[in-house]
Amino acid sequence: MEKISRYILVFITILAFSIFLPEFYWMSFGKPIKSEFVLYSCIDNDFIISQGPKTTDNKGNKLTVQQKEQKLPLLNMRQLMLDGIFPDSINGVEMDPHVIGVHKSFFRSQPKDIVGPLPRIFPLFESESGRVKLELPNDFFRISWRMEFIDTETNSINEEKSRMFSAVLQKRGFAFPAKLIAGIPTTRKSCDEGYVVTDSDDQLFHIKMIKGRPYVQKVKKSDDLKFKHIACVDFRDKKYYSYMISNENEIYILTQDDYELIKFPIKGFNPEKEELRIFGDIFNYNIIRIGKNYINVDALNKKYEKIANYSNSWSSRDEKTEGKVFSYIFPAQISMFSGYTDFVNFYFTRTKGFNWLIFNILLVFAHFMIIKPRKVNYKNHLIDFSLIFITGIFGFLSVNLFQNKFFK
Amino acid sequence: MNDNVIECKNLTHYYGKKLVYENLNINVKRGSILGLLGKNGAGKTTTINILNGFLQPRSGECLIFGENSQHLTPITKGRIGFLIEGHVQYAFMDIHQIEKFYSRFYKKWNNEPYWDLMSKLKVTPTQKLSTMSCGQRSQVALGLILAQDPDLLILDDFSMGLDPGYRRLFIDYLREYAKSNNKTIFTTSHIISDMERLIDDVLIMDYNRVLAQCPVKQFMDTFNQFTFELDNPNIDISKEKFVVNIDKIKNKIELNTFETEAFVKNFLLKENISVKNFKKVNLNLEDAFIGLTGKY
Amino acid sequence: MWKSIIYKEWLKVRWYLIAATLLLGIFVSYMFINVQHTIAFMQANNYWNVIVFRKEQYFHLIKYLPLLIGIGIAIAQYVPEIIQKRIKLSFHLPNNENKIILTMMGFGNLSLLACFSIVFLIFVGLSNYFFPYEIVNEAIVTILPWFIGGLAGYSLVSLIVLEPIWKYKMFYMVVAALFIPIYYESGVSGAFEPINFKLTIIALLISVSLLFSAYRFRKGEM
Repeated sequence: MEKISRYILVFITILAFSIFLPEFYWMSFGKPIKSEFVLYSCIDNDFIISQGPKTTDNKGNKLTVQQKEQKLPLLNMRQLMLDGIFPDSINGVEMDPHVIGVHKSFFRSQPKDIVGPLPRIFPLFESESGRVKLELPNDFFRISWRMEFIDTETNSINEEKSRMFSAVLQKRGFAFPAKLIAGIPTTRKSCDEGYVVTDSDDQLFHIKMIKGRPYVQKVKKSDDLKFKHIACVDFRDKKYYSYMISNENEIYILTQDDYELIKFPIKGFNPEKEELRIFGDIFNYNIIRIGKNYINVDALNKKYEKIANYSNSWSSRDEKTEGKVFSYIFPAQISMFSGYTDFVNFYFTRTKGFNWLIFNILLVFAHFMIIKPRKVNYKNHLIDFSLIFITGIFGFLSVNLFQNKFFK
Repeated sequence: MNDNVIECKNLTHYYGKKLVYENLNINVKRGSILGLLGKNGAGKTTTINILNGFLQPRSGECLIFGENSQHLTPITKGRIGFLIEGHVQYAFMDIHQIEKFYSRFYKKWNNEPYWDLMSKLKVTPTQKLSTMSCGQRSQVALGLILAQDPDLLILDDFSMGLDPGYRRLFIDYLREYAKSNNKTIFTTSHIISDMERLIDDVLIMDYNRVLAQCPVKQFMDTFNQFTFELDNPNIDISKEKFVVNIDKIKNKIELNTFETEAFVKNFLLKENISVKNFKKVNLNLEDAFIGLTGKY
Repeated sequence: MWKSIIYKEWLKVRWYLIAATLLLGIFVSYMFINVQHTIAFMQANNYWNVIVFRKEQYFHLIKYLPLLIGIGIAIAQYVPEIIQKRIKLSFHLPNNENKIILTMMGFGNLSLLACFSIVFLIFVGLSNYFFPYEIVNEAIVTILPWFIGGLAGYSLVSLIVLEPIWKYKMFYMVVAALFIPIYYESGVSGAFEPINFKLTIIALLISVSLLFSAYRFRKGEM
């Protein structure tokens, strides 16, 4: 029993060390890795690449700040207008600031928006209140075995409203409960378009409340098309309800009114590991995907056709000096946090290669030297030695903090 | 069945690199009372700790009721009454609580001697041990051991903090109790005069060795102290083999030895050492202990 | 025998345990007075909104309290045992030493569990009064590791208190100082969902760690 209790202590110590020692290491020696900012220029018809204060075009020519602004006029419209150098027309299209503004859109989705502790109750706004300002309703809804409205004042279910909405959903063929519920649950939006929802059969619905009555629209799509993530947007052009990511990692956009699902010609997207940014302007869409040490940008025209692609990668943390030194010291790292989700867990990362094995063997030897003067029976230390061999510095510290000293 | 209740074989122990003792052998017969004497730091409490399994000796082993003291079974532990040095007890309890606590562990629990002792204490029923005087606490601790009715009593410095009169009473009680019930006692004390009335056998320890191990009577009979005055104060006999301890102030000698008067006189004669006022001193146990271990 | 040991442990910790439960109770009550106050001032729908979408934690106040209580119980239970090495008295009792230690530690864990459960139930009850299942569930997922961390803290501090050698006491403190924060990482509400089970298992495992320092104590390490 005493021996077991010691190994339990050694185990939790290894766990604690493999979380905090690498963390201390990176805090002390880690350097920031600068990622790139890349956009498609409607002037060059090519990409402009910024890294920190440095900007170049895709051929490697250095650009001054003003040159950069001129290459990306739609993004820097106000500055250029202030300088009096905003062009009257680009590519034969007259530049009307209002039109430019309407076409401008920005969308961002991160892995943690897909996997993590996500909201499961939402406020359903009145879409046509006849008032300019949106008001946060007094109830929140959930879609479990039915659509339920919970009054926030009394924390009780509004039966009448729940029945009314549930009945309409039922009639439209909704299979309870909901899988995904996406909306913009804030009053700080131009108007309310309700929620885009998938049911347990992966059917797609649009649910709104108009003048207190349910508005439910089933979106036509093939049965094979299933979505794992939906994010509603509030763009000024009012052409779209939401961006959506299918189970096959394709990017779709859902148009307003005619409920058309438009697929972007993007391949190899990994929504669980990559950040997605979509810049839209009067000419193009920039579909930017940012991974751990790479960027991939697709420029689309307004017909959603791919017109250019840029990709680049840079050395990751592991390939830099501090990463190499790390690989000689630590056989692995456990993190409580992940860059890909808000969920806390033990995220285990084995150090690539076997550089650490040298150090581990040295530590096994060092441990041998430590216990040698004690004239112990080495058989009783076999597990300790194996732990040091496998877990290296973590095991070495742990087995020595808890003395392996037992009597017959 | 082996008649030794305690049997220690070749005990050797170190604290770090400091030797406490080497190859110590102790046997305590059933029904006998052994007193372990020694100066502070000679290893008395170390021995007690080994006996109770609270210390693993470097080598050697102790058997208590035939069981290795490092792995005493619950039954054997129940047969041993253990008084920790300083009468340590759970001081956050009062006398009722502590009796209630211990009584459930021992089948032979007999609370008569305990309440007997408690009735003499001037304590309130809800008074915590921690607020009692040293003497009161020691009586609680002793009372609990008596109530346990163990076959072997291991008492580490039981007389500490007791009033002289009560000490005497307790020793007489203890001896009577042990002898009439055939109990075995292993005890240490630093008040040696008490021990004379109590113990049958004596074990005297010095730093890292045993000075004497025998029945008290034998020890008192064979250990002698002589005083005399040297005519020539420069003569040094402290290196002689038979000398256990010698105190010399100018020409006045106090000689401690296991040899007889005749032997010493013979030696002086043979070595041509002339002395005056040769006297054999009447020793009690405490004198003999000091004679044996030295004053320092 | 275990009844008697529990009696002794109870004598040591009873006032402390009652005070701790009351303290936790007061904190929880205060939390919900605060909730009520907030609802009155900013309206329930706005409050729900910040809880659901901005992950505000109405229960954040009690975060470290279970840990402090766990540490306190460990101290109340084991410091009286190491004063004058009194635990020798318990080891000398006619029972298996490990069983005695397990009984003591089991009592400590159960009394902590009792204290935490009472407060936890009050918390869940009051949460249910103000909030829907989804918010309450997320709150439970979030505060659970704080309570389990209290149990883990109890086990490790017991280990530290009973360890006979000061040097190793220090080492164990370092280990505890690195390990316990695992239970108190500041994740958003509900973030601990995938790890709570593992954290519970680990807390259960280390509840027997006391045997290790008890063994060292018994074998006269110094």
